Amino acid sequence: MRLLPVLVRLAWRYLWRNHRRTIIMLSAISVGVWAMIFMTALTRGMVDQMIKDGVSVLPGHVQVHHPLFLDDPSVSNRITIGDAELARAFDTAGFKAWASRVKVPAVIASERESRGVTLLGIDPAAEREFSFVSYDDVEGRFLEGADDNGIVIGRELASKLETEVGKRVVLMSQDPENEIADRGFRVVGLFKANMPAFEESYVFIGKQAAQKMLRIGDTTTEIVFLADDYRNIEPTFKQVSARVDSSLEVSRWYEVDTYLGTMLKVMDGFVLIWVIVIFLALSFGLVNTLVMAVFERVREIGLMLALGMKPASILGQIIIESMLLLAVGLAIGDLLAWATIQPLQGGIDISAVAEGMEMMGASSVLYPKLYLSDMIRANVVVLILGFLASLSPAWRASRYEPVEAITKVG
Amino acid sequence: MKNRFLLPLILFALPLQAAQEERDATQIVRDAIDHWRGLSSYTEMTMVIHRPDWERSMTMRAWTKGNDQSLVRVIEPKKDRGNGTLIDENSMWTFSPKVNRVIKVPSSMMAQSWMGSDFSNKDIARADDIVDQYEHSIIHCEEVDGITVYDIESIPHEEAAVVWGREVLKIRDDHVVLEHAFYDQDGGLVKKLESLEVGEMGGRTIAKRQRMVKIEKPEEWTEISVNDVEYEIDLKDSVFTLSNLRNPRD
Repeated sequence: MRLLPVLVRLAWRYLWRNHRRTIIMLSAISVGVWAMIFMTALTRGMVDQMIKDGVSVLPGHVQVHHPLFLDDPSVSNRITIGDAELARAFDTAGFKAWASRVKVPAVIASERESRGVTLLGIDPAAEREFSFVSYDDVEGRFLEGADDNGIVIGRELASKLETEVGKRVVLMSQDPENEIADRGFRVVGLFKANMPAFEESYVFIGKQAAQKMLRIGDTTTEIVFLADDYRNIEPTFKQVSARVDSSLEVSRWYEVDTYLGTMLKVMDGFVLIWVIVIFLALSFGLVNTLVMAVFERVREIGLMLALGMKPASILGQIIIESMLLLAVGLAIGDLLAWATIQPLQGGIDISAVAEGMEMMGASSVLYPKLYLSDMIRANVVVLILGFLASLSPAWRASRYEPVEAITKVG
Repeated sequence: MKNRFLLPLILFALPLQAAQEERDATQIVRDAIDHWRGLSSYTEMTMVIHRPDWERSMTMRAWTKGNDQSLVRVIEPKKDRGNGTLIDENSMWTFSPKVNRVIKVPSSMMAQSWMGSDFSNKDIARADDIVDQYEHSIIHCEEVDGITVYDIESIPHEEAAVVWGREVLKIRDDHVVLEHAFYDQDGGLVKKLESLEVGEMGGRTIAKRQRMVKIEKPEEWTEISVNDVEYEIDLKDSVFTLSNLRNPRD
């Protein structure tokens, strides 16, 4: 083991004996590592944003429904516990935020058009934390309370319906007896959302107005809870499960929106594949460099062997050489990636291709997101694969016959 | 046909009634509809749906009883024969022999067209809302050919499930509705139901031919003409049942 410092020193010197080759290799590794980390950060940022938007539209990290509601979202499948009782159960439980709301499919009609929408009967004060709509960024005004008699629709929907703030529209849905429930509402505000699809498909009315229109007393169809982070919802989930009737279904957000849930899982696999693909390209360069380095000093290696160095030390030396090369390359690459991502944290405007992105459910500003775990993963993968790739040239070098090697011409 | 079922028809084909003393606007509308509702009716009518590149006509029979039951059945053309609509209280069902299914019309389809015409399901099913979901006022009154015609402006209540900004009805003193115009909330005329022919039938003066036109597309319209009508006939409750909608017994 006391050999190790010597081997490291030898390897380091060899590395810089042909500094031009080393620098070329180093830049290849750095650029490769930079690409791995930078691209990962971009995709991470995109998926994060999609999930954040998605979760905020769902919205709520943990949701409670009637067991049949997700398959058949009608008021017949509502939560039969009244609002007063819910408040008693949840208000003092220390949730970050919770709200009960009426969420049913409805039809909205103006003089010229009618469209299918999702009707959200909300208490605006309780929903502030959940809403994908910024209450302040509303043309006109947002709902002022659960008993507000107005309706807030998206800008996109307003232009489709050819209506505007101050005009009346009619909402139609069904009551629990499957009778038609309808009412006129005056548009009091137009909200803006990141994605036109949201502006078209959601309308907000006061919770009490919705309950009255649908004739469901003070009951609702959905209770939502916010956890501290969408990745860590288990504590909230357990807490909610313990407090609600077993006849109700408690779900995590990724069970409600399986597309987003799957997306998150796929992402981890995708990052790994991306890192490996880049490394494969890099490894050809790496192996080539090492093979060259070995060929170049066949006589030298022969001499060392002849002087009594063990083959294992030769093997070790070549591997250390490759590890040093990779380590320096990784350090530079990591630094480079960090330096490029840092100034872009504020978001990259990709509105030029926003339309395509929206189809995927992503918005038009991309916020690259650098996770330490992604960086470590890329580094570890590169080191492990680099180790494996350098085994073959190192093995070759350690197997030379000293006499043959010394006398080798060239 | 005196049911909310054929509301537009009803409004237009108001039966003759003795000259009235002074009445307020709501009363004029209510009288017209109440008179129409009578006890029962049987009507045979033809509906012509006109589009720039095609036109089709359907002959239908309709039965109404009280103010919340009605049944309409297509008898011609042959391929549509048996298609029917039943309205009982606030619910509406349709039946098509081709698929052999009775379908309850959900709220999402209420704004859609009824049998491909320019009338919506809602026009057909919810016609009597005109009385209490609106504020009525007489805006004009004139004498035409010796008959007083009232122009009544109906403005929907704030929470009424009505998209129109206002509606204007021209109702003759003898309860024949000459025109029913629908205005949007900017005051622009959107569609109009006009009585093209008024005459005596079934012992009453009614609008025999009416046409619904969308102002933006004047070349598209639906016309309904009454071929035969009988009032105050004896109808069993069994007429207005799902089983009768499915298996006609007349």
